Amino acid sequence: MIIDVKNIVCRFDEIAAVDNVSLAVDKGEVVCIIGPSGSGKSTLLRCLNALEDIQEGEIIIDGFRIDSRHKEIHQIRLEVGMVFQNFNLFPHLTVLKNVNLAQRVVRKRKRDEATRISNELLNKVGLTDKINAFPGQLSGGQKQRVAIARALAMNPKIMLFDEVTSALDPEMIGEVLEVMKQLAKEGMTMLVVTHEIGFAREVANRIILIDEGKIVEEGTPEQVLDNPQNQRTREFLGKVL
Amino acid sequence: MNWLVEQLGILSKIFYFLIQVVHWTIIISVLAYLIALICGLFFGVARITSNRFIRWLAGAYINVLRGVPLLVLIFFFYFGLGKIINLDRLVAGVLAVGVCYGAYMAEIFRSGIEAIDYGQHEAAMSLGMTRWQTLRHIILPQSFRIVVPPAANEFIACLKDSSLVSIIGLRELTRAGREYANQYFLDFQTWLMVGLIYLILTLSLTRLVKVLEKKFAVHGYGVEKK
Ligand SMILES: Nc1ncnc2c1ncn2[C@@H]1O[C@H](COP(=O)(O)OP(=O)(O)O)[C@@H](O)[C@H]1O
Ligand SMILES: [Mg+2]
Repeated sequence: MIIDVKNIVCRFDEIAAVDNVSLAVDKGEVVCIIGPSGSGKSTLLRCLNALEDIQEGEIIIDGFRIDSRHKEIHQIRLEVGMVFQNFNLFPHLTVLKNVNLAQRVVRKRKRDEATRISNELLNKVGLTDKINAFPGQLSGGQKQRVAIARALAMNPKIMLFDEVTSALDPEMIGEVLEVMKQLAKEGMTMLVVTHEIGFAREVANRIILIDEGKIVEEGTPEQVLDNPQNQRTREFLGKVL
Repeated sequence: MNWLVEQLGILSKIFYFLIQVVHWTIIISVLAYLIALICGLFFGVARITSNRFIRWLAGAYINVLRGVPLLVLIFFFYFGLGKIINLDRLVAGVLAVGVCYGAYMAEIFRSGIEAIDYGQHEAAMSLGMTRWQTLRHIILPQSFRIVVPPAANEFIACLKDSSLVSIIGLRELTRAGREYANQYFLDFQTWLMVGLIYLILTLSLTRLVKVLEKKFAVHGYGVEKK
């Protein structure tokens, strides 16, 4: 078990965005998280690398307790890669430097080594010809693939994806999902918030449906998508399928 | 005709006299501005740290120094502090202008930092970067471009306000103008020339700022070119 979330609550002004959620994820597992907008999916992911504080419960990742006040929190954070809906690439740096930077300043790798790793990863996500471009010169799909390479460069044990295809034009969604499928095949532990039900069905070991901060349904893709037990799940699936 | 020639002669004499000291105006402004840059960067960053006390301290600095007339600050540094710890005119004058402009610069830096999308902080943090690493490698380089035009404008204001240090006897442009006017009773012509020289300086700087703005709008991002 690489992620162990026990009864966490994350509140904003008294309102619980994540409300008593427990979740255990094994190494190499791909868990897709679905649910209506505003149900707390992003907040749950953000709790996992301490971008949000939890008020109750505990999160243990690879044996370490996650606490944003912990002095070494940035050390623990680099075990958890995150890819955001809006890419959040560093606009003042080239693609190569976007991927190099944290390797150099956080992992303390030498420039040559960092560049070698970046080139490998950018090749893997199909962007070898863009290494010297600035983010502003890339399409949405290309940006998101850079963001994935940037996160992977830190050798995270877990990857979090927060609606990474939601800001993309339809024709670019495929190229990003393809990279994620490849990653899943290689055995990366992934938590994927997504509206791409087809992707979830194909790649997920488990699907979780969140509504109003709570897990209302959990199971294999077949169980959740084809034979949902909960009324909320049926309503949600009725809208998205 | 004779009158005009005579006047032009007077004006050029004054101009020649003033131009001998104009470098002091420039030296004082540049030194004061360097202090302002350092104070501004330090307190601008301090204004948004997580440490409450440091944040409060930076807020106090900014509010106090912006709330006191520069002339009073100059008197305080020269007559007040200067008498206690023995500051000479130049040091006292430069410090007064520098820390005063530091407060304005701090606000410029703070707003430049806050203008950067919070997603940038989050992306950096999720890569394991500390707050300081994030600031240094991600936030400040991006803020820099936003900050250049207003910060450069502060230099122009700083140059104009450097005339205030004439009052503690620093012999820069304004002081020299006063000497000349008092000695030859040529107030109209002298102050006309003093004003003209300041104007030449500020107008050339304004042009320079325009060039800088253009340069920083294009370079580094490759975004706007599209
Ligand atoms: N920083 C915040 N401050 C206040 N409320 C927030 C904040 N972030 C999220 N929320 C609230 O928490 C709830 C869950 O949000 P979120 O996790 O973003 O949902 P989802 O990702 O499922 O769309 C929403 O009601 C949202 O308004
Ligand atoms: Mg969300």
